Amino acid sequence: MSTVPLLSVENLSISFGGLKVIDDVSFTLEQGGRLALIGPNGAGKTTIFNLLSGVYRQDAGHVRLGGQLIDTVPSRQRIGFGMARSFQNIRLMPHLGVVENVMLGQHSRADRPGGLLAPLSFLGRSKARAEAEALLAEMGIEVMPGQDVSTLPYGIRKKIELVRALAARPRLLLLDEPAAGLNGAETEELMAFLDRISASGVTLLVVEHDMGLVRSLCTRAVVLNFGRKIYDGPTAEVQRDPLVLEAYLGPRHSDKSEASDVA
Amino acid sequence: MLLVQQIVNGLMVGSVYVTVAVAFTLTISILNFLNFTIPTLFMVAGMVGWGLAYFGLPFGLSGPLAWPLALAVGGLASVLCSLLVERFTFRYMRTRHGDSTEHAIPLVSSLGFLLILENLIRIFYGSDSQRFPGPSSDLTAQIGGIFVRIPQLVSFAIVMLLILGLVWMMKSTRIGRGLRAIAENPDAASILGVEPNRIVPVVFMLTGLLCGLAGALFAVNYGEVSPQMGEDIGSKAIAGMVVGGLGSLWGAVAGGIIVGLVEMLTIHFFGADAVQVAVWGALLVTLLMRPQGLFGHNAIGKGKL
Amino acid sequence: MSGYWIGIITILAINIVFAYGIFLAVATGQLNLGGAGFQAIGAYSAAWLSAEMGMPLYVTIPASILVTGLIGFAFAFPILRLKGVYLVLGTFAFAEVVVGIIINSDALGGAMGLPVPDYIDWPVPVAGAVVAALICFYIMSTRLGLVVRAVHDDDVVSDLMGVDVRMVRVAMFALGAGLAGLSGGLYAHAYTYVEVQTFNSALSIYVLLYVLLGGAQTPWGPMVGAAFFTLVPELLRNLLPQMKVAVMSVFGVEGAVTPPDESWRFVLLGVVTVLMMVFRSEGLVTRQLVERLSHPFRRRSSNATQKEAEA
Repeated sequence: MSTVPLLSVENLSISFGGLKVIDDVSFTLEQGGRLALIGPNGAGKTTIFNLLSGVYRQDAGHVRLGGQLIDTVPSRQRIGFGMARSFQNIRLMPHLGVVENVMLGQHSRADRPGGLLAPLSFLGRSKARAEAEALLAEMGIEVMPGQDVSTLPYGIRKKIELVRALAARPRLLLLDEPAAGLNGAETEELMAFLDRISASGVTLLVVEHDMGLVRSLCTRAVVLNFGRKIYDGPTAEVQRDPLVLEAYLGPRHSDKSEASDVA
Repeated sequence: MLLVQQIVNGLMVGSVYVTVAVAFTLTISILNFLNFTIPTLFMVAGMVGWGLAYFGLPFGLSGPLAWPLALAVGGLASVLCSLLVERFTFRYMRTRHGDSTEHAIPLVSSLGFLLILENLIRIFYGSDSQRFPGPSSDLTAQIGGIFVRIPQLVSFAIVMLLILGLVWMMKSTRIGRGLRAIAENPDAASILGVEPNRIVPVVFMLTGLLCGLAGALFAVNYGEVSPQMGEDIGSKAIAGMVVGGLGSLWGAVAGGIIVGLVEMLTIHFFGADAVQVAVWGALLVTLLMRPQGLFGHNAIGKGKL
Repeated sequence: MSGYWIGIITILAINIVFAYGIFLAVATGQLNLGGAGFQAIGAYSAAWLSAEMGMPLYVTIPASILVTGLIGFAFAFPILRLKGVYLVLGTFAFAEVVVGIIINSDALGGAMGLPVPDYIDWPVPVAGAVVAALICFYIMSTRLGLVVRAVHDDDVVSDLMGVDVRMVRVAMFALGAGLAGLSGGLYAHAYTYVEVQTFNSALSIYVLLYVLLGGAQTPWGPMVGAAFFTLVPELLRNLLPQMKVAVMSVFGVEGAVTPPDESWRFVLLGVVTVLMMVFRSEGLVTRQLVERLSHPFRRRSSNATQKEAEA
């Protein structure tokens, strides 16, 4: 194990129209770790994801991935540094088939199967297609390869989006509310799925509202409120922290010892 | 002195461009919709007006002064056509695919309507230019050595008044506020109780009215109408809108006048053949150097475009 | 083959090449409403090289591709920063400026046009159409094609997946411009005369309609669109007068009926356009349709999987 954390966020800040959306946030994430990023609505969780993946450029602060400064790396190249993400609202390509969506995930890899001008399904299956199909099968998704993603149920699309991110072979996976909109059984399945991903050595950074999922999936949590970090520690103790309780329930409730309905 | 005369001419010509440019700007800023039927609506007003004045009005209303009534009916035709376009384009804009060409759907429909309306007019009235039997457009006044044609001066005044009224409407009335809410965020607008299906036709009605008025003013000023008259005006109005700034009413006004001036000065210095290059070149340079135009702001259509 | 059919096959082949040129831009989600401008550049470069320089066909035709492709490339870099209506306006303005420059250029014959000495018979445009189709089918079957479709669907996510969105768009736009140029070069030699009035804004509109109504999801779309909108008007040329006679006879008019105006065909094209946008805005040929036709037996099983998944 190297001593350098895989992800290190240092004093990150960004404002939109004079409003500080992220204010001096710092945290680190070890290789192979599982960190939850939580906080009330509008706390800036998705904004952090957008800063990490380069959709927004920060006003101040730094982001390091594997010790390397990636502040000036354009969003397009960040996936090449080993960082892939999912989206709060599923953003699969509506006119691409299931397998094609996963093949898009391979695009950033230096060792991707097939060159830019190599046919992907000419005369039987090419390597890229075969690899994508294998990955889908491995993750237990059985759909017709050519099927349009828009016709599939929500839970399956959510999984396909995860598989697309995995196809990039990331070191760090950013998951934006992976369990949102899933029913109980689907959430169970997702948990097992994420456990397997984590066991294979992928580091997880998860934005999630479901505290049950957060506690069973992640060992550590960072809590944001109004763009500031108010807690950084074990998930087990999050719900006893006075600042966190105040953020979720308002100052009057902060004297209560435990609130089970946090988030 | 000749140059000053050309500048005055440019201002006068510009008033028709301004009206059509404002029509374009309304649909783009509120609905994010480039409506290609606008030049055709302008033409419909002129041609229907001519047809009624030439072949005679119904109910025996024809007389030497029937032309204003004929033009009014022409304007009405333009409004009706515009509402027809709304029924078949914008009603279906809430599309399902959510990809980057979905804004193309109403645009392509409007291209379809352009073909339908223009060719129907050709079928009924033929492709030739027609003399409009209006008042003599030669009435001129001389102010300090500069000649101003009275009908043009009156048109200019009417157009400016109309735009002042429009700006007041957008700012101070319920409908105006609803329209601006839709322009900013269609989803939020419907939450606030603005019903898109009831308020969007207002935009098309205004578009039809503006085009109808512009068509009537054109017919009176130039004394000549043709099924092709929309193409030329349309291109100059689009150029005016872009130069002034997409989404800004006053920008469209300024842009329309600028294009009128550019046209007259180009004719003065380089001849009539160079007008096309000058006008479209101005548009292209604006798009490349300053896409928000001279007076536009970036906010319009942000996120949707 | 009769001269009538040779004429139709020639224009059909040219329209297919032209439609593929616009298709490559539309496939990345960029509406190119400047088709006439690119075709004009191709036609005039071939015509000028042939008429003024005495160049043979095997120089003029490739030159029409190259010149137009390079101009398209140089134009695409700045213009593709624009999106949506801005881009549509920009490409439209480009075509108008090109035509305006040609009118004002004495070397290119101005408004008079240029005669082209070399004549090509129908097999050359047909070969051009086949080549253009093969290029497009090949590109769309590669990883580049996958990326092109991804950029069309969602450019932000494509970027995050590591796709160089701008380069993909510029490359496809320029390649498309090259094909539009080829269609112009073929046009110049097939008709042995180029006239700037041919390359008007209506032409840009028609070719974009071929692509969008045919369907821009697969390379089948432009071919079907161009074929449909070239051949159907020809059918209507005979059909419309007969329909008029039939309608008139219902009202008791017998004997000679004046044939209907040519404009009726454009009215019908407009009506078809509006109806298509209402009922099938993704075009006649969609990816799902192609998928279904090429794997007729998969359909049932895929439905079964879906039902299982939902259950």
